[in-house]
Amino acid sequence: MSDPIILCKDVHKWYGNFQALKGVSMEVQKGEVIVIFGPSGSGKSTFIRTINRLEEHQKGTIIVDGIELTHDVRNIAAIRSEIGMVFQQFNLFPHLSVLQNVTLAPIWVRKWPKDKAEQVAHDLLERVGIPEQAEKYPGQLSGGQQQRVAIARALAMQPKIMLFDEPTSALDPEMIKEVLDVMTELAKTGMTMLVVTHEMSFARAVAHRMYFFDAGQVVESGTPDEVFKNPQEDRTKLFLSQILTH
Amino acid sequence: MTAPSIPTTEKPPVASVGVLGWLRQNLFSSVANSLLTLISAAFLMFFGQAVLTWAFTQANWGAVTGNLQVLTWGRYPESQVWRLGVSVLILLVLGGLTWWLWRRGAESPARRGLLFGWAVSPVALTILIHGITLPTPATISNNFGYYLFRPDVLPLLEESWRGGAACIVIGLLGGLTWGYLQGRRRVLGLVACGLILLFLLPLGLQSEPWFFGVQVPILLPMAIDLLLATLVGNAAGRSLSNFEGLRRWLPWIWGLTLLLVVILLTTFDVGVARVAPVETLPIVSPNIWSGIMLTLLLAVVSIVASFPIGVLLALGRRSKLPIVRGFCILFIEVVRGVPLITILFMAQVMLPLFLPLEISIDRVVRAMAGMTLFTAAYLAEIVRGGLQAVRNEQVEAARALGLSEVLVTVLIVLPQALRAVIPPIMGQFVSIFKDTSLVAIVGLLDLLAVGQSVIKQREYLGAVREIYLFAGLFYFVVSYAMSVASRRLEVQLGVVDS
Repeated sequence: MSDPIILCKDVHKWYGNFQALKGVSMEVQKGEVIVIFGPSGSGKSTFIRTINRLEEHQKGTIIVDGIELTHDVRNIAAIRSEIGMVFQQFNLFPHLSVLQNVTLAPIWVRKWPKDKAEQVAHDLLERVGIPEQAEKYPGQLSGGQQQRVAIARALAMQPKIMLFDEPTSALDPEMIKEVLDVMTELAKTGMTMLVVTHEMSFARAVAHRMYFFDAGQVVESGTPDEVFKNPQEDRTKLFLSQILTH
Repeated sequence: MTAPSIPTTEKPPVASVGVLGWLRQNLFSSVANSLLTLISAAFLMFFGQAVLTWAFTQANWGAVTGNLQVLTWGRYPESQVWRLGVSVLILLVLGGLTWWLWRRGAESPARRGLLFGWAVSPVALTILIHGITLPTPATISNNFGYYLFRPDVLPLLEESWRGGAACIVIGLLGGLTWGYLQGRRRVLGLVACGLILLFLLPLGLQSEPWFFGVQVPILLPMAIDLLLATLVGNAAGRSLSNFEGLRRWLPWIWGLTLLLVVILLTTFDVGVARVAPVETLPIVSPNIWSGIMLTLLLAVVSIVASFPIGVLLALGRRSKLPIVRGFCILFIEVVRGVPLITILFMAQVMLPLFLPLEISIDRVVRAMAGMTLFTAAYLAEIVRGGLQAVRNEQVEAARALGLSEVLVTVLIVLPQALRAVIPPIMGQFVSIFKDTSLVAIVGLLDLLAVGQSVIKQREYLGAVREIYLFAGLFYFVVSYAMSVASRRLEVQLGVVDS
């Protein structure tokens, strides 16, 4: 096995006195799709947010693409430009058009000329299935369309890793599929993906490995087959039975 | 079963539409409302008749028409008034083009040109209205001759600020170049600045009373100016290092800066010079600016200058650096805790105490400074409200894309924050426009002060109503125009939001 693209070892995180992460370790190889699931408040969002340092961990090591996350600002900027992130609430910039949302970071961070950035943006919007919305503003789009723009925005930086923080939780049921389809396509291209989600059909179809989080710890991990068919821990069994009966 | 019938459309009752319907709904909907309508109508007729009768039969409008000139540009020299006309024309053209381009909404090179036009307009208008002395080959060679060969006879005490100003300009330029460029060229820039500074050395050897009357070589304040300016310039250059466009502008910036240094150093009478400088555009001292012209200048300057200061104060108040935050909080709270009139008096009386003796800032400029700082403090609080309204998720999304903190603020946070607070910002601007009338109390001749002096003329004695009505109308028209503009701006930007 080659060096992992993400290496987390014994990661701890506190909010004041509350301990959100209690020693999480994870190795992710290039091209792997990891699904992270677990009850709310289990620290899964906090964990993937430590990987691009939207949250700082206080103990343990995180090494992304060979760079260790420290307090060094240059370090953080370098890592963030290699990691795309998609949020639950889309978080598109409402004062910019769809095209401007997608080209903003390539122009200002990657220093691409505007023409090149717009070319890439149009290609990406085509890929996520909304080429005709480029001149509209986020507020004029449906939730599913907004989330697909958010994916295009993250991909425009040509990241090595994509983080998805509950990308379908804020969507109406009929829009979940269009976003999951885009994510499935992306996984097929060999993108390294960390996905926090409760979409178990997506996990079964796409994930290489799954991690079950509870109370700030990794309770269980394995391939989808192992986790779904033969969960080892009681907590995993209970949680799976709760979400799969719905 | 019968098929569900679609109700046929009926005409609305006659009395609910049209003029009659409107009257019935709005003015005579009940007995009380009808009574109110009748009383109001009677009052309006009585009052309106009185005003109209006065305006057309008794009023002496000669007090206004006969003094229109003194009310508008006051004591600005008759032969130079064309400069005010050109200034207004420049603003109208810039404003008109902006409006036209905005309506078209398309990206175009014209937009960049327009931005440049707005950027240089403050300097251009200042020169136009205030006047300027440009160097001629004769004064340049004459003055530079003294710098190089006879620095001992330069009687610089009156004009030593020019040395400091030159240092600031060169420091900014050198710092900017050093921070922005890389490799050999930035060394070259630094060497060039060093050479120019050598040239200033003779100036610096003069000494003058500084703090507490101690004789100090001017070199000392000049060095401090230079150091601070270099630091500021360097910081600006580094934060702009991502901005490729500056590379093309850099030669222009260098050229203009050098021109400015030459102007600073060669356009004053060195006293022993055989060639006296000639005013290219005759200087009209701010001391004699008055009337509507002064009112508008005070308002425009304090509005334009206070905006960036207010934004910086608002950002500073949210800074993580305790000294920056502390200073901003102190400034904002102190200024907001003091009435404007007090600040105007302070600016007139106290400011000279803090400045070296030789620098006598003009009274009008002092009033502008006071009003600018006052408005900036209020704007800072308004903008801070807008900053708080921007959701933290926006900041996180921008950070996750790899944008630096400066870019996050400039590209994501500020545009959203400012858009949210257009109405209160415009309210503050309207308020400061009307508050310019307070400068009459510290002895400046704004529209109201000129009006009061007109009333004291013998032939217009007692024309109080006419003058005040005229002034009131002027303030109303401008204020109303500002609030209409604000609403249009909101609508334009609001479309984006929906």
